Amino acid sequence: MMSFRVRILRWVGKLSLYASLFFTAFLILMPLIVVVSTAFKPDDQIYEFPMRIIPRTPTLDNFVKLAQNFPRYIWNSCKLTLWIVVVQLVTASTGAYAFSKLRWKGRDFLFLLYILSMMVPIQAIIIPQFLIVRHVGLYDSHWALVLTGSFTAFGTFLIKQYFMTIPDSYIEAARIDGASEYAIFLRIMIPLAKPVLATQVIFSFRYFWNDFFAPLIYLTSQHLKTLPLGMADFATETYTYVGPQMAASFISILPVMLIFLFAQRYFVEGVAAVGVKG
Amino acid sequence: MASNKNTSWWIVLSFLLPSLIGFLIFILAPIGMAFGISLTNFAGGPRFRFVGLGNFMQAFGSDAFRNSFRITVVFTVWTVLFQIILGMAFALILNRKVILRTFFRGTLFLPNVLSSIAVGLAFMLIFDPRRGPLNQLLQYWGIHPPLWLSGEHTALLTIIIVTVWQSFGYYMVLFLGGLQTINRSLYEAAEIDGAGAVRRFLSVTLPGLSPILFYSITIAIIRAFQVFDQVYIMTGGQLGGGPAGATSVLVFDIYRNGFAQFRFGYAAAESVVLLGVVFVITFIQYRGQTRWVTYDVV
Repeated sequence: MMSFRVRILRWVGKLSLYASLFFTAFLILMPLIVVVSTAFKPDDQIYEFPMRIIPRTPTLDNFVKLAQNFPRYIWNSCKLTLWIVVVQLVTASTGAYAFSKLRWKGRDFLFLLYILSMMVPIQAIIIPQFLIVRHVGLYDSHWALVLTGSFTAFGTFLIKQYFMTIPDSYIEAARIDGASEYAIFLRIMIPLAKPVLATQVIFSFRYFWNDFFAPLIYLTSQHLKTLPLGMADFATETYTYVGPQMAASFISILPVMLIFLFAQRYFVEGVAAVGVKG
Repeated sequence: MASNKNTSWWIVLSFLLPSLIGFLIFILAPIGMAFGISLTNFAGGPRFRFVGLGNFMQAFGSDAFRNSFRITVVFTVWTVLFQIILGMAFALILNRKVILRTFFRGTLFLPNVLSSIAVGLAFMLIFDPRRGPLNQLLQYWGIHPPLWLSGEHTALLTIIIVTVWQSFGYYMVLFLGGLQTINRSLYEAAEIDGAGAVRRFLSVTLPGLSPILFYSITIAIIRAFQVFDQVYIMTGGQLGGGPAGATSVLVFDIYRNGFAQFRFGYAAAESVVLLGVVFVITFIQYRGQTRWVTYDVV
């Protein structure tokens, strides 16, 4: 039989635990609610106090104000993200195959270099990388972003770890049957690795859809700018564009939120995979 | 291994080249070049010369660089501390059987997948000193509202708050993964031995989490040194760096020197300092793994 004091203490403990959980969830969600609700508010209601979550007179004015430039930015973001996701999928999966199922001299050393490069921030090598890109004439083009983004140490590592769990006997059997390495890769490895490929796709989608630093460095022409870049232009201009700013933020957040809602597992798996195994 | 003899080089290269090209040209070569350029006064034109360690001397002697480095260290200390503590606390809470567990896990991780630019814009509205909802609320409660991003002494703090808000969920997920690897029977054994909750945390959970904890701190420090987006968006774009340079972090200084003033040599020297920091942190993580981390509990 528990004493009365212990029971009170447990109860207080549980209450404060839930209080802290709900309070934190509120702090996380509140800014996102502000984005969504402000996106649909007319100018004169944005700074009303107390703040209303549901706008008194919802309007699409803020989105209309984006009509001049933002369709172009959104299209550029979609196009670039898709390209980089596809290119990374190819480079990461072929690399993963070379590192897990082929035997060659220097393999472990090169893989170590790949892994170590994960630690190097893009910001620390941006000056020389920019000079290389400019030297080959790709500055201010989408090619600059696709090519500099083509290599992914994270993706190669992620897929390699998965390939290693596929038994060598499958591959041996196929080799004895006379299958080429390309056939083994395309017909055996890729179909078996679908879940990890999904994780990789979601990771690179999220990264490049949100990426700001590389586009800021490599793109200057108005017609090439991506969504985050267009949003940043907005912010540095003036404060009077808060409504359209929130409308643009809403557009930028929405696709990632939707994917997160339905494929949260893949986001979390990617984080955990590197953490636990790395 | 699949076969005992080496695969032919043609086949290896055909699989390797797609990733190797990007790696060599856009990662490895720039790392090497950063060192080379840092020893010159290269400014983009054809005429430049070798200046030895001149850029480094100039950087370490300049107020702007020293200020940037100091700000980055302050930013790093606070963000890493809060990310790790909050990440760990919520991982421990959400590892237990609580109601709405999936909802809370998802919600706390959510900001991590969102654009830092969108998040920055949202917080600029919330922290707006005059009309923002937060300061209106503070005023309503009779509290003198701070200037947040516009205040010399609060701008960096505001960036720290936003960064922690956005990324502590990432560390929570890492710790949740780590908690799964701890053998449950160790808790039972500890309980039989009469260990209380605090004792169990110190003797079982913490040693079991030590590899992840160590990795998380390393990643968090390296990421903190990279901070840029939030500073750029929230404190004034290319010409910004906050009120009185209060948020001019290291990468922002690199960006400004390199891409606004085209002092590539000098900016490369600053990059080398950043690379040096990353190298030292990674090295400590690599060495420390064997010395301070307990693996046998797993």
